[in-house]
Amino acid sequence: MRRLLLVLLAIVALLPADAGAAKKIQVVTTIPDLADMTRKVAGDLADVSSIATGVEDIHAVPMKPKFAVLLNRADVVILMGLEAEHAFLPALLDASRNPKIRRDAPGYIDASVYVPVLEVPTRLDRSLGDQHPMGNPHINLDPVRGKSMVRAIADGLARNFPEHASTFQKNAAAYTKELDAAIARWQQEAAPLKGKKLVSYHPDLIYFVERFGLEAFGTIEMRPGIDPTPSHVADLIERMRQAKVEIVVRERHYPAGLAETVAKATGAKLVELPAMVGGVPEADNYIAFIDYNIRTLVKAATGG
Amino acid sequence: MHPSAAVWIRRIIASALGMLLTVAPFPAPAQQPPGDAQLRQELDAVKEQLRRVEQQMRQQEELIRRLTPGAPPVAAPPATPGAPGVAAPARPAPAPPMTVDVEELRRMILADIQPQLTAANKTFASQFNPAIGFIVDSVFSHSRENKSNFEFRSGEIGISASVDPFARAYAIINGTPDGVAVEEAAIVTTALPWGFTVKGGRFFAEFGRLSTFHDHDLPFVNRPLVLDQFIGGESQADGVEVNWLAPTPQYLALTLGAYNKIGAANDRVDNRIPRDISEFTFLGRMHTAFSLTDSLGIDLGLSDAYTPEVRSEALKARNVFGADFTVRYAPLSQAAYRGFVWGSEFLVNHESRPGITPTEESPNQIFRVRDAFGGYSYLEARLTRRYYPGVLFEYVQDIDRPASRTWALSPYFTIWASEFQRLRLQYTRLEASLPARTDDQFFLQWTIIMGSHAHSFRDR
Repeated sequence: MRRLLLVLLAIVALLPADAGAAKKIQVVTTIPDLADMTRKVAGDLADVSSIATGVEDIHAVPMKPKFAVLLNRADVVILMGLEAEHAFLPALLDASRNPKIRRDAPGYIDASVYVPVLEVPTRLDRSLGDQHPMGNPHINLDPVRGKSMVRAIADGLARNFPEHASTFQKNAAAYTKELDAAIARWQQEAAPLKGKKLVSYHPDLIYFVERFGLEAFGTIEMRPGIDPTPSHVADLIERMRQAKVEIVVRERHYPAGLAETVAKATGAKLVELPAMVGGVPEADNYIAFIDYNIRTLVKAATGG
Repeated sequence: MHPSAAVWIRRIIASALGMLLTVAPFPAPAQQPPGDAQLRQELDAVKEQLRRVEQQMRQQEELIRRLTPGAPPVAAPPATPGAPGVAAPARPAPAPPMTVDVEELRRMILADIQPQLTAANKTFASQFNPAIGFIVDSVFSHSRENKSNFEFRSGEIGISASVDPFARAYAIINGTPDGVAVEEAAIVTTALPWGFTVKGGRFFAEFGRLSTFHDHDLPFVNRPLVLDQFIGGESQADGVEVNWLAPTPQYLALTLGAYNKIGAANDRVDNRIPRDISEFTFLGRMHTAFSLTDSLGIDLGLSDAYTPEVRSEALKARNVFGADFTVRYAPLSQAAYRGFVWGSEFLVNHESRPGITPTEESPNQIFRVRDAFGGYSYLEARLTRRYYPGVLFEYVQDIDRPASRTWALSPYFTIWASEFQRLRLQYTRLEASLPARTDDQFFLQWTIIMGSHAHSFRDR
């Protein structure tokens, strides 16, 4: 019995010291892009943490027990949705034992609900790779869809905390205005990219490509989530040569070697891009992230 | 213009305006005769209203044009010919190019049709069927002692779904050459407060780490010897388990459970017959984890399974204690391509076991307390998304004769064709004492997953 008491005392000692202090809204987001947007929308009303730091592959974020603790204390979880976080979020939500943020609970805020989705499969078959049944989930790379994500975040927070709804909507409107100005600028800056053909490692740039007028020519992966075979690489190189593809993008969480080989064999420029905020030190917020990607691509496309 | 003509024109306009004003939505002082200034003001208001209507029409036409794929640009509406002798009114300046938020439009349309789409989906009763996956696990084995065999190990159906807002459930039904069995069928609460979950039914009890893995999920071909001998293979148990995530900044999960028995192959306890409470197996487990760096973490677990009275052992007590630790290295930016797992478990079995065989002179079975120890440790590297080499070391003492020991060393190599198909090659060198024996074993395992799959926190 004495041992049991000691264990209980130790647990009590580990309890957070600020348990009784005035509580901010505890928000956990899956990726830093959503964390940045949420900070803009919620301002000082929320403490915002992100599970991923930004350098990870969103399909392979390591599940750490500390994330279960984080989610256990969350008032809301904000995710990109479209099953992008399938590899880690459902299991972490189970482990968190937090009914407030289970799927379809009010605290489960899906940032993709207002986003028009591309590449929704017409046929589901594993021979086609790791398909996302709801469509390509990499919506964060398109700033216009980013605005829709901001709106979904504001609406989701307002649903959970109606007393702050006007603040969320006002902040979201201000941030959207900021994004609108940036988008107008990006459209001009990205003009040299129009019509350029691009090969990426994974099909995660399609929203970016659509927005800024590039052409997604193919991927180094033979199918989404399936590493390439030598014959796929040979075929890709041949087709790239014929089509005069000028840019190979290696998302920074994919291996460098193969992308370098493909770029060298085709004479294309190799560009390394982050897929999330925080993927490179310069991309420390959402606007800086899109800025970085556009400037890096433009530099490559114009031979800078 | 002649003054009289101007007066006539003014009168005509005034009459037209009078008619319009009777239906116009803005208030008009009907009691007083309209003066020139007022007429002019009202005329301006009507003009403004007409301009707005025209603009709305243009916007609608533009919307229709944009929403119609391949539609040609809208032609400007023809100008209304002026009345003879009356100068045609100047055409309003063309409206500036309208900026339509396409995303907003799409959203509005989706919002309109989504309820119908959703309702249509829900008319199919199958929409509520659980997620289903099927796993095939087959092994070719060759050993000096046991010759060669193509072994169909299992065809396993896994199903899972939410039950209601308060629980989810899952079942694993396993077909093997010995028949079909329900390996797991469990209900798990989802809505309890304060970090609690309760699990009931048949499931794998939370003892240690790899005893909670299904055979095909193990990082190597066979379950470690110590788990086979001390637990009885998978920690399958019929019972109830309460799990609590402590509300502390440090991850700490505690589990308490009560079961008929633990171990799918533990045939010392008959699962089918009722028993005294004292014959249940009670479990306690503590699991914590530390992140040493962003890429490096360690999990620690302590488990204890206590059975106060084992009927087949003359109601003697049995206690199995386990300690497990797992070190994981996964560089954040390359977690799918690089890293390693070093996993180890150590178990102590403490119980009274039959000693000397009864004879006529001493007919009573004599029991002696035996402590047997065993463990395993494996290191598995992730070289690419496909190639995972590893090595497993095992050691176990016999429960009845701790002096009888078995060692095994198993290098293995796993190739993941994709997340859903795996080939594994393994060699095992086995050495045992009392009686002394050695064996060399080769395995080639081929495992596939069809259909639904989930990444579980426990099996990570």
